[in-house]
Amino acid sequence: MSAASPFAIVALALGGAALLALLEQLIAERRLAPAALAASAARTLRQPLSTPEVKDAWLYHGAPGLLLLGAILALAMVPWAPGFRGLDVGAGAILYSGALAYVTPAVFMAGWGAGRPLQVVGGFRFIALMLAFQMPLVMAVTAVGAPAESLRPSAIVDAQHAVPLALSQPLALLLFAPAAMAVAFVAPFDLPQAEGELGGGAFASYTGLDAAIVALAQKVLLLGAAGMTTTLFLGGWHGPLLPPALWTAAKTLAVAALMLLAGRLLPRTRIDRLLPFAWKVAIPLALLAIVWSGLVTLLFYR
Amino acid sequence: MSDLGTALVFWPGAAIMLLTGVYVFRTSSMARAGLLLLAALGVEGLVFLALAAEFLGVLQLLMMSGEMVIMVFFMVMFMPDPGGLMGMDMTHDKRRSAVAAAAVAVALAAVAVATDWPAAVVTGETPDLRQIGFEVMGRSMFSFLFAAVTILFAMVGAILLAKQGGRLGLPAPGSDRPADDGDDGERPA
Repeated sequence: MSAASPFAIVALALGGAALLALLEQLIAERRLAPAALAASAARTLRQPLSTPEVKDAWLYHGAPGLLLLGAILALAMVPWAPGFRGLDVGAGAILYSGALAYVTPAVFMAGWGAGRPLQVVGGFRFIALMLAFQMPLVMAVTAVGAPAESLRPSAIVDAQHAVPLALSQPLALLLFAPAAMAVAFVAPFDLPQAEGELGGGAFASYTGLDAAIVALAQKVLLLGAAGMTTTLFLGGWHGPLLPPALWTAAKTLAVAALMLLAGRLLPRTRIDRLLPFAWKVAIPLALLAIVWSGLVTLLFYR
Repeated sequence: MSDLGTALVFWPGAAIMLLTGVYVFRTSSMARAGLLLLAALGVEGLVFLALAAEFLGVLQLLMMSGEMVIMVFFMVMFMPDPGGLMGMDMTHDKRRSAVAAAAVAVALAAVAVATDWPAAVVTGETPDLRQIGFEVMGRSMFSFLFAAVTILFAMVGAILLAKQGGRLGLPAPGSDRPADDGDDGERPA
């Protein structure tokens, strides 16, 4: 009923990240080979750490930790079942974006700490992106909070016992999902690392444990993005027959699969098109979504 | 959160805030100063959470990250030595600023000690979100609107200063000075 223990959330993050790695392999290579994944992870972990020869090397090694901390805190806001509601705080939906806000300094620290041109560009690029994407993200969350009359994620799930909010607020969903993907910097929004353009960008020179933590954090971010989309828009644990936790897990995996598939099928967005789009189109649309949410709430939810 | 739990977050949090606050001015690198400031203010958000001011804490964590990252961005952009490679000193006018800082610290400490704080610790489910909503949309609406418009003006001003050429515009071709800077174009010999 009440808050889940931090250990359970960390275990969930580790297990979920492994599951997402398998899902990614299935989508990218059309085969399931857990042994190959494990061998690749072990290979990464055996590498020695690389330390850049600049003054701010502590930023470089601190960044993966901060990234993982933010990702796990964001994941902790997702309620999985009536008996396992994550941290279950009153402003949890806002704290989700609050936790994601720490991804930005982490990526900047990684880029700046590496002290090489392309890495620094990757870090700065992510700052510009995140300023543009946090706004529609938070505004979509606000829109969803209105019908539930609460920003507590489990209360938002409860408000969807009959109709998932995806049906009454499709615009907010269309803004939230890509913005959450952009914060998790997965393809097609993988602009801070951008293989082939920035040659790995902010994370290019990480090796060993640092690289493993970055990869883990990115999986946890994606898991949190899919889990929060499920929570806010797809009715969370509500569903017939199956137990609640299974419904959440199934919906979350489906959303994660769609996000990974989008990364395979769509070309990487260009930053010079993405930024004007976010400021000139997505943010005004998010304002419209809030107005729409107010109308829907007054007409149908009261 | 229990009293012990609150104390366990509050006192180490306060110590970290002080320490990071001091190091903001001890370092010469813009990136380090900004991130240390972010650490201080983020820990302050955690302290708010421990003191059961949930919405305030969440908002502090969310806003400070965004704001401090923007600040790092602007400091690196505007300062001549953003990496602190030449060991720039972050303090100026040392004696007078030290006196002013000490006086303000003593005054604030006196206020903190002399104030008759409410003895009861707020516990559990306070409907703070709802209260903040009624406050913002009711009695305090005018002050919030005034602050919002002021901040908007400041943002427009900052963007004008930051754009290429600054407030004076781009220089005329071949000139080594900014465009129309208000004088008659006579050069001192």
